[in-house]
Amino acid sequence: MNTVQFKDISISFGSCSVLENVSLNIKSNSVHCILGENGAGKSSLMKVLFGMYQPDSGEFFINGKIVHFSSPLDSINMKIGMVHQHFMLISDFTVLENVILGNEITDGLKINFSGIRSILSDIINKYNLGLDLDSKISDLSISSQQKVEILKLLFRDSEILIFDEPTAVLSPVEVKEFFKIIEEFKRNKKTIILITHKLNEVKLIADRVTVLRKGRVVYEEDITDCNIDLEKLALAIVGESRVSIAVDKSSENLTNEIVVRLNNIDLYKNSVKILDKMNLSLRKGEVLGICGVEGNGQNEIAEIITGLEKNFEGEYKNKNVNVSMVPDDRISKGMISQFNVGENIYLKNGKKFIASSELLDDFSDKTITEYDVRLTNNKASLGSLSGGNQQKVIIAREISAGNEVLIFSHPTRGVDINATAFIHSKIIEERNKNRAVLLISSDLDELISLSDRLCVLFKGKIIRTFESDELSSYKSDNKVSLTPDIEIKKEKDNQLFELLGKLMIGMAD
Amino acid sequence: MDLISSIVSLTFIAQVIRLMTPFYLGASAANFSERGGVINISIEGFMNLSAFSFAVFSIATGSILLGFIMAIAINLLFSLLFAYFTVKLKLDQIVTGVGFNLLSAGITKFLMVYIFKSSSNTERFEGLPDLNFFESIPILGSIFSDYITIFTFALIFISGFVLFKTRFGLRLRSAGENPWAAESLGVNVRKYKVYGILISGFLSALAGMWLASNQNSYSDGMIAGRGYIALAAMIIGKWKPVNIFFACLMFSAFEALEISLQVSGTDIPAQLIQMLPYLITVLVLIGFIGKTRPPAADGVPY
Repeated sequence: MNTVQFKDISISFGSCSVLENVSLNIKSNSVHCILGENGAGKSSLMKVLFGMYQPDSGEFFINGKIVHFSSPLDSINMKIGMVHQHFMLISDFTVLENVILGNEITDGLKINFSGIRSILSDIINKYNLGLDLDSKISDLSISSQQKVEILKLLFRDSEILIFDEPTAVLSPVEVKEFFKIIEEFKRNKKTIILITHKLNEVKLIADRVTVLRKGRVVYEEDITDCNIDLEKLALAIVGESRVSIAVDKSSENLTNEIVVRLNNIDLYKNSVKILDKMNLSLRKGEVLGICGVEGNGQNEIAEIITGLEKNFEGEYKNKNVNVSMVPDDRISKGMISQFNVGENIYLKNGKKFIASSELLDDFSDKTITEYDVRLTNNKASLGSLSGGNQQKVIIAREISAGNEVLIFSHPTRGVDINATAFIHSKIIEERNKNRAVLLISSDLDELISLSDRLCVLFKGKIIRTFESDELSSYKSDNKVSLTPDIEIKKEKDNQLFELLGKLMIGMAD
Repeated sequence: MDLISSIVSLTFIAQVIRLMTPFYLGASAANFSERGGVINISIEGFMNLSAFSFAVFSIATGSILLGFIMAIAINLLFSLLFAYFTVKLKLDQIVTGVGFNLLSAGITKFLMVYIFKSSSNTERFEGLPDLNFFESIPILGSIFSDYITIFTFALIFISGFVLFKTRFGLRLRSAGENPWAAESLGVNVRKYKVYGILISGFLSALAGMWLASNQNSYSDGMIAGRGYIALAAMIIGKWKPVNIFFACLMFSAFEALEISLQVSGTDIPAQLIQMLPYLITVLVLIGFIGKTRPPAADGVPY
């Protein structure tokens, strides 16, 4: 039986068509994955189902009945719940307050806190969410925040659960935990819709997969026993424009001179030890990968190198180099959403006092052509671009500053396959220019394929360093495949992958 | 010697607590609006308007009750207009607030000359009736001698309860913290913002009436910056009802001190003391209370 049925849904903003005659059936009590590149229309389709967008034409059915949603409230009343890509949480509220907002159970005038508490504790135990109802959202990790979002849906008895790129911000261990929750949903007869970029996740969890490209359904397949042709799926996603650039890591003109060195550095924040006797050196002409679950000190290392963090003990040496950084959270740390491409670049790289429109146009034209940024018009604000295109602009800005040291923190998070390949090629290009690159990531494929040396970070300490010869002994060949999701990994690569996965969570030494 | 003994006296303390009334009402007025995400700097203007309309309607009709009702009604209309500009039209809240302060001052000045043929004072009127309930008790009797002061004390607990224990409060605060998240959960954000502003209008009406009652007349400029000090008290009190109460006590202590100084006729100029509340505000904000954080979406049109 179909829980949700879309029939010929079309939507367009101005002259830009986002969805074209999309028809799609979602079976009840199943996990349905929706795949596609950035801007393929996945999020828009889900926003239609959640009552945030109204389709221009077409209709959709819930449990066989035609429905018209004019706001999220209509959708919530039909027991549909959505976890947005950017969480909808109030950071100054507690977990409890966030969960009950809009659905408060009252006892006379007063909110019935004790009754609500017992309901919520039951749900938390049932799904093993491990949340403290009284902690403030601003004190929680990203993965706990996601669990708060899940708790919100469960508190409202949602039967259809929509997740917009839920694993983009999670580490491999957290992803496993998340999938366990999804399986528990299925056991409880719920219907789950997952939007994702990651093909291996589809293989693990999906019952059915639909691929959208440029606002159309281009591929659909039922998955039984994890049998799926990833190659075919990947082709469907990227379409005819599939790129598979393999960039050679050249060894010419590389000096391997140490430019940044952290010597026995200890760092405390609110009397919690964040970095523990940290030793790290970064050389010219290398990509140094930092592998680890988020929150093990990665950000602090980056902050010490960029000079934001000064309250550490120990020795920090830097050969008078300038540092560029691509931050992990591009929207809040990397750009000014209201500014356009040219303005965002001028802000950092503009040397002239007067920001003439010629100068700004020059900046933006250069970036748009060189980095293949796709936008509706050259003056569009950066906030209106898709995630992959925003990231390209930020990377363009940081690279074109021409600094000797580059830090990339989760450079391809929430970015589609094509853009990922492009960003990877740019990172290698910088390395080949004898620049020092620090790559912080939780995507093991990315780390394995790009790094010359690789450090595993656990609880503020580097517990293992793979030097370049050791790393290459694991790799089957030195060609970097830039479509890591698609590539069926060679056996040795797999060994390294598993070893890293264990090291990250402190299960191996 | 005289001065010191007058400060430590019980009458002085009673004075401090009574003078706290308009500050706390004004600060709560601003707080209810800001908790919903609307910065309301026109508390001064709201207080001025209600003091004026209370006096005018009380004198014209001879009924204090009618004056009371009219003052509240006019302030609610005025705040509805403020809500129309800031919530419906999404105008800049600071600019709108400045506009309303100027408008309030202008209207009252104009009507003073038009009605009373005087630009400074109305004739005297009785003001709100005294509360005789606590009269026989020595200290309490002089503190709780009017209904509005009693209500103000109750308000410390009422606003704490409303903001943190009720559905209304949770939704109001969500509108001030993250209206987008609130809307995604089906909360009608704009409705709550308007409620916040209306409460603001009501509470500042009480503050204005208390001041007019206290001097048994309305005079031009009588609010004398208390609306702005109330805003400072709200910030020093970190938008929390109990903390705001202590901030207001501090300001009313300075006002009482100023009065004592004038009465005792010392050489310290009263202007110096008048300056102190502002100086203290700055000092307190610089370092004594740590970081204050307004509601995250405070002042953001939604």
